[in-house]
Amino acid sequence: MHLTGTHKFNASTDKIWSKLMDVNTLERITPGVSKLEEIGTDQYKAIAEVKMGPVSGSFSGNLNVLDKQEPRSFVLNIKQNSKIGNVAADVKIELQPLSEHETQLSFDGKANMSGLLARTGQRVMSGVANTLSKQFFKALEEELANSTSQEV
Amino acid sequence: MTNYIGKAVKRVEDKRFITGKGRYTDDIILPGMTHAYIVRSPYAHARISSVDTSAAEAIEGVVKVFTGKDIAESGINGIPTGWQVNFKNGDTMKEPPHPLLVSDKARYMGDAVAIVIAESREIARDAGDMVEVEYEELPAVADAKKATEAGAPLVHDDAPNNMCFDWELGNPKAEVDEAMSKAHHITTLEFVNQRVIPNAIEPRSAIGHFEESSDKYTLYTTSQNPHLTRLLMCAFVLGIPEHKVRVVAPDVGGGFGSKIFHYAEEALVIWCSQRLKRPVKWTADRSEAFMTDAHGRDHVTKAEMGFDKDGKIMGLRVKTYANLGAYLSTFAPCVPTWLHGTLMQGLYTTPKINVDVTGVFTHTVMVDAYRGAGRPEATYLLERLMDTAALEMKIDPAELRRKNFIPAFDGVKQAGYQTQVALQYDSGNYQGVLKRALEMVGYEKFREEQKAARKDGKLLGIGFSTYIEACGIAPSAVVGALGARAGLYEVGQVRVQPTGKVSVYTGSHSHGQGHETTFAQVVADRLGIPMDDVEIIHGDSESVAFGMGTYGSRSLAVGGSAIVKSLDKIIEKGAKIAAHKLEASEEDLEFAEGKWTVKGTDKSVGFGDVALTAYVPHNYPAGLEPGLDFSSFYDPANFTYPFGAHIAIVEVDQDTGKVSLKRFIAVDDVGNVINPMIVDGQIHGGLAQGIGQALLEGAVYDENGQLINGSYMDYTMPRADDLPSFEIDRQVTPCPHNPLGVKGAGEAGTIGSTPAVVNAVMDALSPFGIKNLEMPLTPERVWRAMNS
Repeated sequence: MHLTGTHKFNASTDKIWSKLMDVNTLERITPGVSKLEEIGTDQYKAIAEVKMGPVSGSFSGNLNVLDKQEPRSFVLNIKQNSKIGNVAADVKIELQPLSEHETQLSFDGKANMSGLLARTGQRVMSGVANTLSKQFFKALEEELANSTSQEV
Repeated sequence: MTNYIGKAVKRVEDKRFITGKGRYTDDIILPGMTHAYIVRSPYAHARISSVDTSAAEAIEGVVKVFTGKDIAESGINGIPTGWQVNFKNGDTMKEPPHPLLVSDKARYMGDAVAIVIAESREIARDAGDMVEVEYEELPAVADAKKATEAGAPLVHDDAPNNMCFDWELGNPKAEVDEAMSKAHHITTLEFVNQRVIPNAIEPRSAIGHFEESSDKYTLYTTSQNPHLTRLLMCAFVLGIPEHKVRVVAPDVGGGFGSKIFHYAEEALVIWCSQRLKRPVKWTADRSEAFMTDAHGRDHVTKAEMGFDKDGKIMGLRVKTYANLGAYLSTFAPCVPTWLHGTLMQGLYTTPKINVDVTGVFTHTVMVDAYRGAGRPEATYLLERLMDTAALEMKIDPAELRRKNFIPAFDGVKQAGYQTQVALQYDSGNYQGVLKRALEMVGYEKFREEQKAARKDGKLLGIGFSTYIEACGIAPSAVVGALGARAGLYEVGQVRVQPTGKVSVYTGSHSHGQGHETTFAQVVADRLGIPMDDVEIIHGDSESVAFGMGTYGSRSLAVGGSAIVKSLDKIIEKGAKIAAHKLEASEEDLEFAEGKWTVKGTDKSVGFGDVALTAYVPHNYPAGLEPGLDFSSFYDPANFTYPFGAHIAIVEVDQDTGKVSLKRFIAVDDVGNVINPMIVDGQIHGGLAQGIGQALLEGAVYDENGQLINGSYMDYTMPRADDLPSFEIDRQVTPCPHNPLGVKGAGEAGTIGSTPAVVNAVMDALSPFGIKNLEMPLTPERVWRAMNS
């Protein structure tokens, strides 16, 4: 499955970058994620509950941040296993400054699924991914707005 | 009271089916029964590093978890295949082991890794989720042609290029090449005959029951051929004595081929039951059925047909890559070879034919016989070539067929027709079915309507398919020479009870075909007794002596003939008893309407009297054994060759690409017909399946070998509103070599219909210059073709 999308934030590239690299923030705002734990440099262990169309499952596995080009881009390497099948994905995330206070985030990658997830979830998967990314961006926007207001 | 043959007698089995009283395998509950859940690989190809069953076994209610290691250590064999096909150079095909549970590697998504046995189905399922299997995912290949290319991941290390066999049939390739080089026109098509999923309404189920006290085993299973399953399981897999094993296939809710084969789950439940000393039941859920029932078709083909300037066929050259899946299922090697290559003559006088087939392993579930098995693929190939050639050569497609038809022959006065591809057709009148179909469709009028519609921007199309099939499978000596590891006769026992009631035991299994009705019609007619006095018993190895089962439209032609042989013996012995009672000579008697009469007199004795005398032999012919009970084996002299002409009319919506099937005409010649209502039903069902393949169905594997449409959300089955009201008719050319003159009707609809629909769509799309589209012809595919 091809994963791609963009979102415009009213925040600087540096600010977004720091939020994206903060494990506590991510644990709080990523949809479905119940636990995110740093287990090494740029290595995390994640536990998530995700419902994808007809199938829902409890996922656990690792996230690795690779190829870090602070504050412009990184690759998120995801390996999540569940009883309903496994997901493996590499997603490149890029931050493009549009102005001092505006940043375009874009992501592009590919996810491979197996098992029941592939067999019955494939058709709705891109819709689910879309919804989850929108939820994530909205939560990130709120997070950025809160932190900005606190700063002021 | 007699003359049931030819009458649309209502099906006697329907009383229990439509009142919900059918008894299927999953309905059976045995005392102390446990339930199994099978842990399956989510990957198409993966090395299994470890299997940890401790968490699962700790759950309350779990009896035991067995893994591939337990199976390997027990020393039992894997699942065998029933047919051997050799490489062209004479080497034996590659036949890699197919263990009941894998221990080292998973080779398709769904490969069985462990089995959890628990007190309930729910506990087994939950515990199944707790079995921790560590996989190392490996690259996979799902496409048959790609699997043979250099560098493709290997399914089995000892099958280089994933080749199981390469095989050819017909005239030497050089002769065919020469004929083709002289052709005025060559039509070439490259296409995929896509993989379809059988989708029987009842998922597979099996119960293994070992009784320690008697050292006996019973397997209840969803099988089309319980005796064959018993033979394969006992002799090849488990090594347990056949006489200690009873296999019962009770009511079975559809098979379409997918329940012919001996599956690992059947041997597994027996093996587990023997270990645990308790009955073990396994029933697939729908999702499991999608991923583990043997699929059908999946050929990648290039076909070329050469014509002279008048449209006479000069030669046919075919190259097919046949996907066999990860392991060899029971009849897998036979389907793309001896059930496919042998049909390349079609109804035509093609003088030179060469068909070349490569059987290929891929990381997908097994591919085996599915309604029609090889013959739909052959028919699709030939009939698509014919309509495409007609278009290219600007000859009317009906006329092109007429030019090339084999002339009519009855197989009695005129000899059978010897094809270039091993078979000898029994009898046929091919012009007849096409003529009738053209009359029914109103061909000339349709062509005018089509022209007018095109002017109005409406895309109407007509497609033809004139097919032949080889059914009534099969003469044992012939199939033995072709690699079958079993005979393909059938067994029929007729036991006349002392009261004159008749129990008939047949090795043919009924799972929707209506044997209990059709066979009873034959028996009642032949004996001159009411149908109510006849009971047909099938599906239990303990009551039926032996049997080869139901597939290849063989039940009536082979199984029915075996019963007729026994009926003949009953009547012959009955005549001896009747002669004694009538104090007449046997030669002076005639048997009709259920009684033996001394010719030219009114002296007669009834069937019931004779039956009673046979069991109460107080006044009885000297030297004659008591009883009236005969069993016969019938081994057919030849295949049977049903044929027919199908015509489809479609309209394509130019804005959406949606294909609407407006009319479907089927004129089939299945030989004599015992029950026209049942034959109509068979034709209707077959047409729906064939049309389903043309327009709707198709299994999709992604590049990682994941089946991505493994549910009814994504796999489109034909429904009533996808189909028009079928217009069907029949021609009757009796089979000359079996006593009933029947040819078989179970597969005709599926074999003939698919190319007719695709041809019709191509005809509708001809203004766009579109010659070929891959099935299924979904709106998206058709729309894209029109808009590119």
